[in-house]
Amino acid sequence: MKTVMARLAKRLVAGVIMILVVASFTFLLVRLMPGNPVEAKYQSLLLNGLTPVQAMDEVRVMYGFIPHQSLWIQYLHYLGQILHLNLGQSISYEGTPVMRIILGAAPWTIILVLTGTVASFIVGILAGVIAAIRRNSPVGSAITISGSVLHGIPLFVMALFLAYVFTTIWAVLPFGAPYNAALTPGFNGPFISSLARHALLPVFTYALASYGGWLLTMKSSVISVLGDDFILASEVRGLKTSTRVGYIAHNAILPLFTILALSLGFMFGGSLFIEDIFDYPGLGNLLVNAINNRDYPLMSGAFLLITVAVIASNIITDFLYSVVDPRIRR
Amino acid sequence: MSMRLPKTVLHNRSANPNFRQSFWGFAWRTIVKKPGRLIGFAIIVLFALMGIFGPYLYPAQLPINPNAIYAPISWQYPLGTDFEGTSNLALVVTGARYVLFAAAMGAVFTVVFGTILGLCAGYFIGLTDSVIMRITDFILTIPSFPLLVVLSTVWNFGQPVAMGFVLGITGWGGLARAVRSQTMSLRERGFIEAARGLGLSPLYILFREILPNVGSYIAMNLLLAVTGSIYAEVGLFFLGVVPFQVNNWGVMLNLAVFSAGAMSSPQALPYLLSPMLAILILTLGIVLFLDALDEMFNPRLREV
Amino acid sequence: MSAELMHGKSAEPAVRVRGLNVVYATSQGDLPAVRDVDLDIEAEKITGIIGESGSGKSTLVMALLNSVGKPGKIVSGSVMVPGVGDMLSIDRERQRRARGKELGLVFQAAQNSLNPLRRIGHQVLDLGRSHEVRDLRDLLRKASDLLTRLGMDADRVLTSYQHELSGGMRQRVGIMFALILDAKIVILDEATTALDMLSQASVLEIVRELHKERGLTTILVTHDMGVVADMADRVVVMYGGEIVEEGPSGSVLSHPAHPYTQGLIRAIPRISGAIDRAVPLPGAPADLKTYLEPGCPFYQRCAAAMPKCQANRPTSLTVSADRKVACFKVTDHD
Repeated sequence: MKTVMARLAKRLVAGVIMILVVASFTFLLVRLMPGNPVEAKYQSLLLNGLTPVQAMDEVRVMYGFIPHQSLWIQYLHYLGQILHLNLGQSISYEGTPVMRIILGAAPWTIILVLTGTVASFIVGILAGVIAAIRRNSPVGSAITISGSVLHGIPLFVMALFLAYVFTTIWAVLPFGAPYNAALTPGFNGPFISSLARHALLPVFTYALASYGGWLLTMKSSVISVLGDDFILASEVRGLKTSTRVGYIAHNAILPLFTILALSLGFMFGGSLFIEDIFDYPGLGNLLVNAINNRDYPLMSGAFLLITVAVIASNIITDFLYSVVDPRIRR
Repeated sequence: MSMRLPKTVLHNRSANPNFRQSFWGFAWRTIVKKPGRLIGFAIIVLFALMGIFGPYLYPAQLPINPNAIYAPISWQYPLGTDFEGTSNLALVVTGARYVLFAAAMGAVFTVVFGTILGLCAGYFIGLTDSVIMRITDFILTIPSFPLLVVLSTVWNFGQPVAMGFVLGITGWGGLARAVRSQTMSLRERGFIEAARGLGLSPLYILFREILPNVGSYIAMNLLLAVTGSIYAEVGLFFLGVVPFQVNNWGVMLNLAVFSAGAMSSPQALPYLLSPMLAILILTLGIVLFLDALDEMFNPRLREV
Repeated sequence: MSAELMHGKSAEPAVRVRGLNVVYATSQGDLPAVRDVDLDIEAEKITGIIGESGSGKSTLVMALLNSVGKPGKIVSGSVMVPGVGDMLSIDRERQRRARGKELGLVFQAAQNSLNPLRRIGHQVLDLGRSHEVRDLRDLLRKASDLLTRLGMDADRVLTSYQHELSGGMRQRVGIMFALILDAKIVILDEATTALDMLSQASVLEIVRELHKERGLTTILVTHDMGVVADMADRVVVMYGGEIVEEGPSGSVLSHPAHPYTQGLIRAIPRISGAIDRAVPLPGAPADLKTYLEPGCPFYQRCAAAMPKCQANRPTSLTVSADRKVACFKVTDHD
């Protein structure tokens, strides 16, 4: 357990450094933007009749930093604000703190991504095991082809297709909004079922988009484990088929944890398309709208939070991996 | 020249003096072996030609026809028309250049960055390796598509090269990691140790001895990077975060969904489906062709 | 069911192989790995099977369990085990039960024969459950006894993962797995090859003790003539997928009849005597081309080859009490 903790600590430090780098990146991005938006806002506030002091206060609140000071001072100020979980104020949502907006949107994205990842992981892995064991039969080939095809289709094409089929042609599922606004949010039947119905299509799209990858990776992992000597040994010792399949699956699934970590970035990135197409109020939607509205504080905040979510899930995945694999646990 | 080392130990090609000539023959035979590969190859050639010559087939300003807005599929408009009565086929064909050129540039940049960094990390090991790998881990962790979206606010994506460059910057991580591990195992092989023993410069060893041996892997990834780049750039235009400067498939998708309301009005559907079809067919072509590349470069498959 | 074996009508072999043919499917067609093998393994004896790599000896023992891995394929033949039946034709569930319980195998790669993600003790329990062992605690006790006998700290081993054990320890754990269900027929396929000389000697000594104690039928597959000379009651010499000679080990080793056996014995370096007295066998082991030729598989390398040997394949004939040889030179004299 000691090594697991050491590994975890190392990962946490690396994660914090990464977050710092990303925060610095968004800071520089906005500061170095052509026609510097901070400066532009400051000037426009002056034109609106504010005194320089008032305008500067306004800008400081909005962006979390101050024009007319050296970049370095501004940077330190910005980092200090982030430590206080202050990401400035939104421009498009008139003065609402960015933190409050993104914290409101984050749960929707995280729920979608987690459910989609778990669903596709389970189904993809089961299908991958079947595809590997039955790889010379029509069933096995059919499963493999389903994986290759779904793996090849771009996420937005799939989302558009599903949206068209299930909300236009055969309008059985609701579109947009995470739940029916007529219902009172809370722990009651109608609300939860509405929540589930609204989430179904986006989750299904996430799952379908990553199912193929899991399937193909699991298939090749199982095939390589099947060639391992200990699997032959378990046959020679007359172990039951169910026990042997368990051995195979357990060994084959471990390499997938590394890929799970990488795929989370893809899944959170996918939220931009899925939430945009299904008009679902998560972080991805927020990021796209922020850019379209030139709401830079909101943009930086949403991007930062997406990155933090990916880094955090990465660390969790790595931790789980080191718990499952005795070779690391030691 | 007299102490030339066997570069292609992995593939035993050195035994064949006419390697260059016979490779193309061999490549062609591999492609025609299965109809699927030939179809894939044909699709890729067709799209490449479309990217090169497409814009010359139509006038610079595509004709509009107020009497044929959202015209259905016909001989005159094989893929229907858009909201101005412009042929969707013409839009797809002329829009291919930006998409394909940027994707090709994206793939080239991805492969160049990934290969150079992977080779250096794997060959020099030690400090160089740990620095490069920290950066690689970082690039792999940062969700690349949101990063592209954020970058679109400062970067001008109007030029395909500029688009390709950014796609390369955000996408080289996986390749670098794979090239590094292959380089690491190669540097322990006899012929590389021999080259080091002879005092050849690291640059010579990296690019003349090791690179040819990871070449097959890189070729496969070049093609995969093309599909990845197409998705990313079309996705950017589709979301509308990049200013529209030239017509391309992503712009078509965006206008179809968010302006023409293709999701709810069936008459605009051909406008939405045309670019989608182009993307899907090209993807299909690349997936089919990858199978041939796999056999060409994977010695284990070649025997069978 | 093992009663028959215990009371031992010594005439009845513990394993009776008839007309066994195993091929490997390759792109160039089926490559024979074991050809027309007839073999009786005598009960309660140690039988050594010897041959170069690629001679088909490992494939032969895998075929005894009907566990030849792909691309190998058993084409024809029968493997009769008293109390079990023909391993090649009984249903799969009965085959599975026979493996481990009646026929214990320690195979070549025994170092990697353990699931890397489960503790050894858990794997013992998995084995017990697969074979419906009622008293699992007793099984663990047995495992612990065996491990102690094999010279290991049993408690530590049972709670360890594979990666926490050395190569030699893993190999011994493999031997424990072959013996723990009290299989009467135990096959060791190069089981001690990876060990250093001293541990090899001590493990073989334990195998010999257990063999006597439990009245086992032991099959030792090896390429090491010394091991055969030291351990085996009978010896079977394989070349090119065929049995070229078999008989009591003392008589075969002192008076080898087949030119190949003679070559093998000449090739052994002796501790006493000059190293150059060891004469390596000329030529390369049997390969694809050899298999496809109609004549004797050893023809290319044989010093005593006759024209007849190129065109015809010698069959295995009994030359004297208990000894069989497949060589025209020997059989034609009779």
